[in-house]
Amino acid sequence: MFLLPIWTDITTSFKSIHDIIYTIPVQPPLSPTIEPLITAFNIMKRPLVNSLTFTVAATILSCLLGSINGYALTKIRFPGSNMVFLLFSIGIFLPYQAVLVPLVLTMSRLGLYNTLAGLILTHTTYGITITTLLFRNFYGLIPDSLIMAAKTDGAGTWTIYRRIILPLSLLPFVVAAVLQFTSIWNDFLFGVTLARGSEAMPASVALANLKGTTEFNWNVQMAGALWYALPVLIIYLVLGKYLIRGYMAGAIKG
Amino acid sequence: MSLSLRRAFARETMVALLFVLPSLVLVGYFVYVLIGWNVVVSLSDWKGLTPSYNIVGFGQYITLFQDPVFLTSLTNNLILILLFVPSSLALGLFLAILLDSKIRGEGVFRNIYLLPFSLAFVITATLWAWMYNPDVGVINTLLQATGLGFLKSGWITDPNIALACVVLAIVWQFSGYTMLLFSAGIKSIPESQIMAAEVDGAKGFNLYRRVVIPQLKTPALSAFVVLMIFALKVFDFIYVLTGGGPAGYATYVLPLLMFRETFLSTHFAYGAAIATLLFLLVFVIVVPYLYLSSRREKD
Repeated sequence: MFLLPIWTDITTSFKSIHDIIYTIPVQPPLSPTIEPLITAFNIMKRPLVNSLTFTVAATILSCLLGSINGYALTKIRFPGSNMVFLLFSIGIFLPYQAVLVPLVLTMSRLGLYNTLAGLILTHTTYGITITTLLFRNFYGLIPDSLIMAAKTDGAGTWTIYRRIILPLSLLPFVVAAVLQFTSIWNDFLFGVTLARGSEAMPASVALANLKGTTEFNWNVQMAGALWYALPVLIIYLVLGKYLIRGYMAGAIKG
Repeated sequence: MSLSLRRAFARETMVALLFVLPSLVLVGYFVYVLIGWNVVVSLSDWKGLTPSYNIVGFGQYITLFQDPVFLTSLTNNLILILLFVPSSLALGLFLAILLDSKIRGEGVFRNIYLLPFSLAFVITATLWAWMYNPDVGVINTLLQATGLGFLKSGWITDPNIALACVVLAIVWQFSGYTMLLFSAGIKSIPESQIMAAEVDGAKGFNLYRRVVIPQLKTPALSAFVVLMIFALKVFDFIYVLTGGGPAGYATYVLPLLMFRETFLSTHFAYGAAIATLLFLLVFVIVVPYLYLSSRREKD
């Protein structure tokens, strides 16, 4: 019952126009067809590739930066580390409208307006705030004695990171990556303000546009939604528990 | 401190700073510099496509509070907060308690309830647009098919209940999240406490009321802050579901107003003022929360 909207999404995607008129939405199609799925896919092909590209890139970058930040903040006690962490944390809650106008100006001055690189830069930067939180919380649990032991063996800061911290980091990397991928993939605001052209348009914007133009072709719209939801659904089914850990770590979404 | 120790400490600090430097530069610019820049724009008279930085003071803000659309948007945001936040918390709590009563397949149910939260707002808004469509939409046709046709309604095309429809849809999306937080909170209550209470004769409803719920203050607070901030920030969902309508402005909210004013009407200074206001509203909620949670961490 709870999943009703999602169920009708799936059934509607496979219905021909005929079925739309003659069946009620919760019924499975009388004569299933993949035509709406193909139509939707052709419209959304480029945006889906765009989304995949910048989401993967920004996820990797923000996770890497989050990891080294987390390390520096927990294992190297330097004066002002709490201040730095606070500065990052405020960024987690930032309503992006508050920086939207100067952001557009910045991107256009850098020549990155309407480009994948611009989206990657944007998402990486705002992603650093939450990835740093995740890694800091995780690294805080690594016993200092481990670090001390390595230091007395003469290991330098970077070596400690490579040899001790990194190998222990699989879990936070997966959590951060899954969380970031979902957040960035799902983003709409940055897409609609920074990338309306087809060179860099994300799938989220393409889906929204679909709703505007094909007002009555619900089957194509539902099919489009299904395509867009697919990567997140896959991640949710396979790596769901890591996503859940990410949700519990702090304030996300929106 | 000996000299070599001090030198080593200084060197470590340098290395640490090197590690965080790129992030500091990026976040410092893209968050703090841009916020400041936005405030400056809000104080200017920039209208149209060529930037203008003549500072005219708080004029934009004054116009803001006299603008009926702004007041409608602000009211809608507040209504959203009042309806959405308690409902999501209540539903989440209910689901968490339900899940706690050791029914089979707890994991499956949890995953089902949490699924909408992982979906993009564009997706869920598209789904609910289909649900709420008055002519061929899911809800009305289902009502018709089960003989409850008299309950049919215009839903999001009816200016009086459109906002409530929006609230229902986003409660649906977030209840999995609040359920998750409460669930984790319930599980973290030591078994010994539950057993001690049961020995004292508490069971069922009383057990939950007296023992469990009072200990859920922490997850409740986290969820509360997240939900509040979302109720202020919500843009994607409303943009796709109703576009702010019906009847022009029935579901307008501040972020939508800001977007339309800035990017469609090119009233950049005006939009920046709205954005600054939004930022302040969120700030007022976040700062006490961060302060409280960092104090809690120290215990």
